Amino acid sequence: MIIGKNIVKEFGDPPHRILHDLSFVIQDGEFVSISGRSGSGKSTLLYIISSLDFPSSGQVLFDDEDTSLMSVEHIHEFRTNHVGFIFQFHYLLPELTGLENVLLPPRNIDRVDEFRDRALELLKTMDVSKVADKLPSQMSGGEQQRVAIARALIMKPKYLFADEPTGNLDSANGEVVMNILKSINKERGTTLCLVTHEEEYAAMAQREIYLIDGRMSERG
Amino acid sequence: MLFLAMKQLFSKKTQTFLILMGVSFGTMLFVSISGVQLGLREYMIKALLNNTAHIIISGAENEITEKEVRSQIYPEGRFINWITPPGGKRDESKLESYLGWVEILRANPDVYDFSPRFSTNVIIKSKKIKTNVNLVGSLPKKQIRISEISDYIIEGDFESLSSGGNKIVLGVGVAEDLGVSLGQFVDVLNAFGKITPFKIVGLSKFGDTRTDSALAFAHLSDVQKVNRTPGRLSEIAVSLTDIDKSEELAELWSSFSKDKVQDWRSANAMFMEMIKMQDIVRYFIMFSVLIVAAFGIYNVLSIMINQKKKEIAILRSIGFPPKKILILILYQGFFLGICGGVVGLAMGSLVTYGVGSIDIGVELGGSNHIFVSYDYSIYLSAFIAALFASLVASLIPAYMASRMTPIDIIRGQA
Repeated sequence: MIIGKNIVKEFGDPPHRILHDLSFVIQDGEFVSISGRSGSGKSTLLYIISSLDFPSSGQVLFDDEDTSLMSVEHIHEFRTNHVGFIFQFHYLLPELTGLENVLLPPRNIDRVDEFRDRALELLKTMDVSKVADKLPSQMSGGEQQRVAIARALIMKPKYLFADEPTGNLDSANGEVVMNILKSINKERGTTLCLVTHEEEYAAMAQREIYLIDGRMSERG
Repeated sequence: MLFLAMKQLFSKKTQTFLILMGVSFGTMLFVSISGVQLGLREYMIKALLNNTAHIIISGAENEITEKEVRSQIYPEGRFINWITPPGGKRDESKLESYLGWVEILRANPDVYDFSPRFSTNVIIKSKKIKTNVNLVGSLPKKQIRISEISDYIIEGDFESLSSGGNKIVLGVGVAEDLGVSLGQFVDVLNAFGKITPFKIVGLSKFGDTRTDSALAFAHLSDVQKVNRTPGRLSEIAVSLTDIDKSEELAELWSSFSKDKVQDWRSANAMFMEMIKMQDIVRYFIMFSVLIVAAFGIYNVLSIMINQKKKEIAILRSIGFPPKKILILILYQGFFLGICGGVVGLAMGSLVTYGVGSIDIGVELGGSNHIFVSYDYSIYLSAFIAALFASLVASLIPAYMASRMTPIDIIRGQA
């Protein structure tokens, strides 16, 4: 369970407040979308929830553990083992093949061989087995994003965070990616937090957090 | 991390190759310049040690001092204002106790061998032509052991002097001046005008015209006889197992003897200064070249980090800690240093070999090629320097990369 308590985020000097005293609970296995207009603070909130960033004040608790109190080693271990990220721009390492990209998180803990079969299986599930030995430059945008999803899932994370995963794809590929994410949430019970500005995809979530100028308006 | 580091390096093959070449050329330059400089130095030291030795023990100067004259004339200790103070030498310098030295030298494990020598100025004559020569008498077998004299014999054999019986090895310049050759006889005139015929059994060539035109060798007893000073020695040339101990031992032996004990470095202080200058120039060149190579590495890695910011963000968001990012970049610098260094050593050794093969048309020390050195210390210091420069150059970019937080990069990209 993820609990957000009075989250405030400010940037700059003098401080400009992006998020205003947000509190929420995301249950295990829940699919929550964060949507809003451009500049509403939805990506900032996702980064804070996912431990990539920290609030100016307030707390984010993962199963009662405050991320801002975790040691550097612990937060990296936490990200490797419990969190999966999917970004809008895929962010695959261009010099690595599809399979090598998927195996990046196990490489961080020196367990590549142990996860090789799972990586191949995930690529198959995502229907991108054929790009296992190809470099990102030889893949289409949709294929790259599916490889990125496989990478996010390789460590069987409890939490999956996706920041506009369809934002850089055409509608057909966008739909494929959204279906994959939804099935991951449903079949594997992975908690899914999705940032999107597309209402159609936001509506696929069990619950929607709608942000207006950094203030929450929950609906769903 | 090594896997990722190599993948990143080889994804930019041209860039990696160019910077590798930068390090390699720096290393190559140092190896080849050092090879030629040290080769020349080794030759010069060898040539120097043929005329001298690691340590030379000779008789102290027997000089008259003002103090001893004053005490003889005015024992009551009056103040004297000399118009010309007394001075000069009482006698020529002689080695006081050869047998005492033999005992000391034989007992010292640092002494490789030693050779007693007696030198005197003579005139060598052939028909009507005369020339002044410094005739050096030694025990040939011992002289061969303590020096590289055999390498400088271009005709005949230095060991032929061993049996004595008035045989002589002439400097090639002396032989040319007199118009004589191997197997012929020359007359040696001492200070009293007495002539002794000597048979030429060898010709030496050190490459220094002044030396080659004024030096000759004979057996010790033959030279003593020519000078009418049987049993007299001018010096003992000592060879050590470790040349670097020469200063320490010379100082020790000086402390308990009246004889003059001088190590080869202090006897050739100017030459040593020259060597020091050469070393400074050599290290300056290495430093300059490696600084350039290091800047190359620094630039390449900094550019690469800028280009790979989003990849670093990905690695950080996956859970790669800053330490691993630091190691990732350092591995690349380390790889450039090791590979550039090894390639540079190989290239440097080839260039050194090439330079060493150049025929200079003059035979010196048994060779007519440029003297080069393949001493392991050149290669070791070049490799360490290449590695050090590479690591230092990659340290700043590596630190910069490790300080990047994923969120800063992602926001920067947005």
